[in-house]
Amino acid sequence: MNKELPPGLALQKVDERIMTLNVGPQHPGSGHMRIIVQIDGDFIVACDPDPGYVHRGEEKMAEYRNYITNIPHLERPVIHDSCNVLYPYVLGVEELLGIEVPERAKYIRVIASELNRCVYTMYWLAIYGIFLGHSTMFMWPAGDRELLIDLLEKMTGARVTHAHFVPGGVRNDLPPNFEDVCLRQVNYFEKRIKEYAAVFYDNPILIARTANTGVLSREDAIRLGTTGSVLRASGVDYDLRKKEPYDVYDELDFQTNVLKEGDSYARSKIPWLDMMESCRIIRHALQKMPKSGSVRVKLKPNPKGKGLDSVYKRVESGRGSLGCYIVSDGKPEPYRVKLSVGSFRNLIALPYLLKGEKLGNMPSVYWSLNYWPVEADR
Amino acid sequence: MNTATGIIKALNSGIKHLAIKRFTLRYPEEKLKFVGDGYQFDPSTGVGIAGYKGRHMLFHDHCTGCQLCSIACEGVAEAIAMVKVPEEHKQNKKAIMPQIDYGKCVFCGLCVDACPFYALYMTNDYELSSFSKEGLIYTPAQLQVKPFVSQDSEIKITDRGATHG
Ligand code: SF4
Ligand code: SF4
Repeated sequence: MNKELPPGLALQKVDERIMTLNVGPQHPGSGHMRIIVQIDGDFIVACDPDPGYVHRGEEKMAEYRNYITNIPHLERPVIHDSCNVLYPYVLGVEELLGIEVPERAKYIRVIASELNRCVYTMYWLAIYGIFLGHSTMFMWPAGDRELLIDLLEKMTGARVTHAHFVPGGVRNDLPPNFEDVCLRQVNYFEKRIKEYAAVFYDNPILIARTANTGVLSREDAIRLGTTGSVLRASGVDYDLRKKEPYDVYDELDFQTNVLKEGDSYARSKIPWLDMMESCRIIRHALQKMPKSGSVRVKLKPNPKGKGLDSVYKRVESGRGSLGCYIVSDGKPEPYRVKLSVGSFRNLIALPYLLKGEKLGNMPSVYWSLNYWPVEADR
Repeated sequence: MNTATGIIKALNSGIKHLAIKRFTLRYPEEKLKFVGDGYQFDPSTGVGIAGYKGRHMLFHDHCTGCQLCSIACEGVAEAIAMVKVPEEHKQNKKAIMPQIDYGKCVFCGLCVDACPFYALYMTNDYELSSFSKEGLIYTPAQLQVKPFVSQDSEIKITDRGATHG
């Protein structure tokens, strides 16, 4: 091939063994995200995650809406975990405006956010199952998730996007008889997720597929700044509900789950173990919750911040630490809202984990990072 | 664990489910029951009343045309437009009432929180699909109609598993 090239142009050398493959951005195995992988035969030699496909400008939008009307759109990044996404924003606005939240509202918020964490994790688990070709693990979590969605719907009036938390408490009180229904369904839910052990987590085929793939060492997990289940699966005991308790988490009885292996299997097991802790938290919160009382402080129609002020709050969401930085300049609208999300921080580990893996392991390693494309792009 | 016993255990836990009743809700033959008559708001206490956030219901004899609902929705979805109504109400001198475009509404209920005159509530009706975009725009007269809903399935939990009874 000795073709004459126009002056100034040169052909790029191509490695004959390496092939570049675009996975996504409209691929069922990547969500709304593209992963550019370079493969040599069946092995991945380099990987470049390319987020940003579903960037919606949530942060910029927040600058044109007031502190209350920001609520419905700020929960859109992760609609399955909408209470937890809103949580840091609401805590931050409360500090900016100097609002004291009633005790009962704090318990309701903790219950709602734990239910939401389970709903998110079940959805995540369903997709993890189907990524590994395990259709039962797709059907079961998708069905059992209904138990908790039903509870959230009774509580907040919406199945997925709740818009339930507001600065100063929650929008409405619990419906009558909620405690009994909640206890019954959460107990049954816990019984159901324990059954997943036999069919999924103790299944030798799953263990053979995911154990020792995509191993993230403790040092790397800390160095790369990962959070949430990824960090805890690598042996670091770090959970914001314990380390920086917000609302009433310091009064509730639960423990954090830590595994040492740091492989895909451990990363997929931590959220499942966390769900059982969530059930414990919900039961304890239902028991300790004041039986009556106010759930919302009445605010002025257009609350304003006090002059130039800023606040940073973070909570433990289903995907790790989720922070919200709010700057106010004394107007009814915030001057700046910045979301710092767990998904985006965990994504940074992907190129390190996939190097040397087989292409067939890519979906399971990728999804075990608990990554949610829409949240990372905001 | 031994590989063979692990696989048999996994198969066994699936087979056990053959004898269990189906959990699936057979929509639209069955419909899930909601608490109450829909999300409502009490402006005197500033706290809502739990209920499903579905299609709105407008009480013409309470609405004063104050536009607070439409101002609240401006920052959310701009779904509410104030339109002229033919009939006269003595509390509504301007004779304007909200018209809601369900192609835009996100069912957040902030308009219900904004109404100070107990005029706007939400109902259990969620079946709003339409063949045209215009069909999604509900005029004040349409919003006045109480929806007909027959929702009676609830999650029942027995020793043999959960069903939508
Ligand atoms: S429910 Fe929300 S989006 Fe719908 S009309 Fe009311 S304020 Fe607007
Ligand atoms: S529905 Fe309520 S808020 Fe809206 S115009 Fe009528 S009285 Fe005012």
